Parts: sequence; C-alpha cells; structure tokens
Amino acid sequence: MSSVPVSTAAVQPARAALRRRGHDPRWLPYALVAPAVAYLLGITLYPFIYALYKSFYQSSFTMPGMDTFVGFGNYTDLFRNGDFLASVLNTLIISGSSVLAEFVLALGLAALVYRDPWVKGWRMMFLAPMLFMPSAVSFMWKLLFVPGASVVNNLMESTGFLPQALNWVGNPTLARLSLVVADVWEWTPFLFLIFVGALQAQNSDLEEAAKVDGARNWQVFWQVSLPLLRPIIAIALVLRSIDAVTMFTKVYVMTQGAPAGDTETVSYFIYRVGFNQFDAGTAAAASVLVLIVTIAVAQYAVSRYFRPAME
Amino acid sequence: MAKSRRVSQHSSRIGRYLLLACWAFFCLLPIVWLVTLSLRGRTETMVNPPIYWPHFTLEAWRDTFENWPMWAYLRNTFVAAIGSVLIDLLLAIPAAYSLARFQYRGRDQIGFYILSTRMIVPAAVALPIYILFKNLHLLDNPVALMLIYAAINLSIVTWVIRSYMIEVPREIEEAARVDGARSIGILLRVTLPLSISGVVTASILALIFAVNEFLFTLLISYTDSAQTLSVGLAMFTGGSKGIIYNDIAVVALVTFVPMFILTLLIQRHLSRGLTMGALKN
Repeated sequence: MSSVPVSTAAVQPARAALRRRGHDPRWLPYALVAPAVAYLLGITLYPFIYALYKSFYQSSFTMPGMDTFVGFGNYTDLFRNGDFLASVLNTLIISGSSVLAEFVLALGLAALVYRDPWVKGWRMMFLAPMLFMPSAVSFMWKLLFVPGASVVNNLMESTGFLPQALNWVGNPTLARLSLVVADVWEWTPFLFLIFVGALQAQNSDLEEAAKVDGARNWQVFWQVSLPLLRPIIAIALVLRSIDAVTMFTKVYVMTQGAPAGDTETVSYFIYRVGFNQFDAGTAAAASVLVLIVTIAVAQYAVSRYFRPAME
Repeated sequence: MAKSRRVSQHSSRIGRYLLLACWAFFCLLPIVWLVTLSLRGRTETMVNPPIYWPHFTLEAWRDTFENWPMWAYLRNTFVAAIGSVLIDLLLAIPAAYSLARFQYRGRDQIGFYILSTRMIVPAAVALPIYILFKNLHLLDNPVALMLIYAAINLSIVTWVIRSYMIEVPREIEEAARVDGARSIGILLRVTLPLSISGVVTASILALIFAVNEFLFTLLISYTDSAQTLSVGLAMFTGGSKGIIYNDIAVVALVTFVPMFILTLLIQRHLSRGLTMGALKN
C-alpha cells in the first residue's frame, strides 16, 4: 500500500542518465545533503541523548555540577505524581477537540467555497486569523474571556444565548473550551486553505459527469470529490494534530494551567517543572517519554501518509 | 422538474452564503475588536460591560513605540528571522537538489528523516537546547534565536524546494549537461532559477514561522538585546490592571500587515507550501 509500483520503463532512462553523469563523483549527493542532516541531528539526536542522560539524575539548574544518580527514579516519580498523566489527558482532550472542530469546519467551508466565483476573496478573508502573531492572538482571547469584562459573555447574554455570565477561568471544562475556541479561530484556516487548494486542484470532469447523471451537489462532493481528497486530508490532519498537541503559547498566556492544572498540556508541564521549579531531571524524563512517542508517531505518519504522496 | 431544481439551487445558494457569513462573522469580529482596542485608552480596555465604540485616540500607538523597546524588538526579530531564512536556504537548496535529482542508497531514508523533524515536540527538546546555548554562552543573543529558527524550519524549506525542483524538466538539465556543465553548475544556472517560486514560498513561510516562534524565544532571550516582538509583547504589563492590552493590540496589527502582504505574494503556492510540497497545484 505504501510502496508505489515503478515501471521498469521509467527506470531505464533514469539509469542511462545516471551513467552519463559519470563526471560527478559518487559522494556528491551525500555531500550536498550532509550539512542539512548534520544540522538537524543537532536538534533531534543531541537533545534526545542529553535528555536521556539527564533523566537518570536528580538535577537542578540552580546547582550545576551537583547531579546525583537516581536510576529510574524520575520516571517512577512521573507516574506516581499524577501531574504528568493529568497533563497527557488534558493535552488529548484539548488538542483532540480542537482538531476535530477545525477539521469539520474547514472541510465544510472548503466545500462551500471551492466552486464559488469569489473563492479568492473568501480564502484571503478566512486566512487572516492565521497571520496574527500567536502570542498576540492568545492575549486577545485572554481579554475576550477575562472575568468581569468578557466580550464573549457580554455578546452571549445580550443575544439571549445565555442567562448569566460564564466563568471561563474558574471552571475546568470552560477553561479548556476557551483554549479550544482560540485554537479553532486561529488554525481552522490552516486546514481550510489546504482543503480548498486540494479541491481546486482536482479535475472537475468527474464532478461534471456525476452532475450530468443527476447527482446533487452535496452528493457529488461526498461521493466523488471527497474520496479523492483522502491522502491530502490525512497529511493536513497529521501536521495540524502535531502542532495542536504541542500547544504551549496559548496555555502560557491564557491559563498557565489553571484552574488546578486542568489546562496544563504536556508542553507546559515540561516547561513548568524544568524552568519554573528547576527540576531538570524530571523534565528530562518527561521529555524522553514525549520524544519516544513522537518518534514512533512520526515514523508511522511518514511511511503511511507522506511517502505515498511525495515519492 | 427543471423549475423546482432551479428554485432549490437558488435557495441552496442563499443557505451557502448564510453559512459563510456566519464564519466570516466569527473570523472577523475579533479582528475588528483588536482594531478598536488599539484605538482606545487603557481605561476602556477592561470594563464591564465591554465598550464596543470607544473614544478614539492614538494614545496606544504612541505609547507602544515610546514606552517599550519596540525598535530593539523589531531589530532582533528582523535579524533572527532573516538570518534563519538565509541559513535555511544555504542548507536546504543543496539538500533539496540532492533529494530531487540523484539516485543513491539511503536517499529516501535521509529525505524522510529530514521531513520527520517537522514533527518534533519543541518543549521536549527545549531543556537540552537551552543548556547547549548556555554552554556556548549564546543565551540572550539573537544569533541563538537565528540558529533555532533555522533548525525548526529546515525540514519544510527543504521539502518545499524539493517538490518544485522535481518538476523542472530533466531535458533542460540534460541539455546543459551535454554542453559540459557539472551538477553544481546546473543547480545554480538551470534548476535553481526554474524552481524560484518554491524558493520564495519556502522562504516566506519560514520567515513567518520564525517571527511567530514563542517557546524557544521565551527561554533563550530575556532582555531587549535579544527579545523579539513575539515575546516582547508578553512584557507589556504594569499598573494595577496588569496586562496592557491596547499596546499588545498595536503590536498585533503592526506585525499583521507585512505578514498579510507576504502571504498575498505567495497565495497560489500557499496550500502546497503548508503541506511541505505534498499538494501539487
């Protein structure tokens, strides 16, 4: 499924071209790609090894050179103290709801505009939220939800949508929802843009044929256009999910994990433990676990979705 | 039959525009709010009930540039982001050419390793990278930010450029080869100029991501000798009410305009760039 069949007819001229390329040394392609790979190993392999090493020590930023070996102590602490597992659960809830909502909205909006004469205008308009600085967006939503002066509450009350003001800061579900709303506002455009691009790139002949056969617009979209879109939907969702799972800026600005750690994501957990409580050993242990999961997910996503689309 | 179908198509168009208008409302209302926020005094930023039509004043625009080290933030943002894009191009153009044009053992593994670094969790590598820069005495230095941003964006820059290079017709390259040009010469004189829209798209996306970066910038920079706009605006606090929202709104709008213009330049290539080249136009 993941391997693309290569016809021998296509390979032969490529081989011939390769032979003619006799005057290029064999090491040339490696030399061209090596600097980039070396640079990237610096932010992947080096941090992993370093975090792995640190994770076996009781270690603090404030007292360098005072590390003591604790074996798997940091790891057992992570699972005994509920904060880490809670942050994993929070991350899944918050990023899961965000991506689900963004996906449904982006697909719906893309379906509504891609054959519209003003598609360019809609695209530019809907794109705008993505182009604001994420930290500024977070402050803007913090203010829109701020207790006592919340614009969101005021609008919902004055339109009769809700009888009383909601506590977006103190209620765990609402605090999580406030992060989801901000994320949906900011990142639905990402998926929307990709979906519109993919729909426009499609050959419209199939759609026309289906319409001639009497299919309705939504049937055409659902049964003809959408199935062809699946590979690109998968890639877009992988990219968006990864960015949603690593959510940090919004949590740092809007909630700082409050109330009672209910909005603390894994990224924020590592930051708080490592850089606020200076417990480098525990933060390193959490980093190692996250990296192992990341590597596994990335391997799977690449071989399942990216390889077939990009080879 | 035909008539009823036309009527239903007409009403479905109204329904469609109604739905689009709903989203446009949700999408644009916060932006309009941001604009009015930047045009009001601080006493009107956080009141109950919220003020939608403020007493217009340019106070926040003046304050932002007078009370905060905006020029330092702008300089640091500019230096770190532009520098990172240059590093990316220097590393990514040869790498993309190698991946697009040569057949060799391990090529796919190398290529997809580069791609998979797009999926790294920043917070999980933050601690080792912080300590690395500490040991290099590069903390609170825009050069450190430049190096970080370059690393974050290298995978997307490489893969976007590769996807454009792979579409350059081989015949053109072969013609140059017959004339005696070597691969490096062909890359610089033929392949690169023909994939320039990929290079521009990748550069603009990398620039935007670099300007927006928050986590590493927060950790590695702590004074205005390195802080960028993205982190600098989190310092806009003071007085009994804490965060100075109207000044933050000014920064948000000031940075939005160049981002919007840059995106307009590459709008046809945007979906392709955001999927790292997976989606062809």
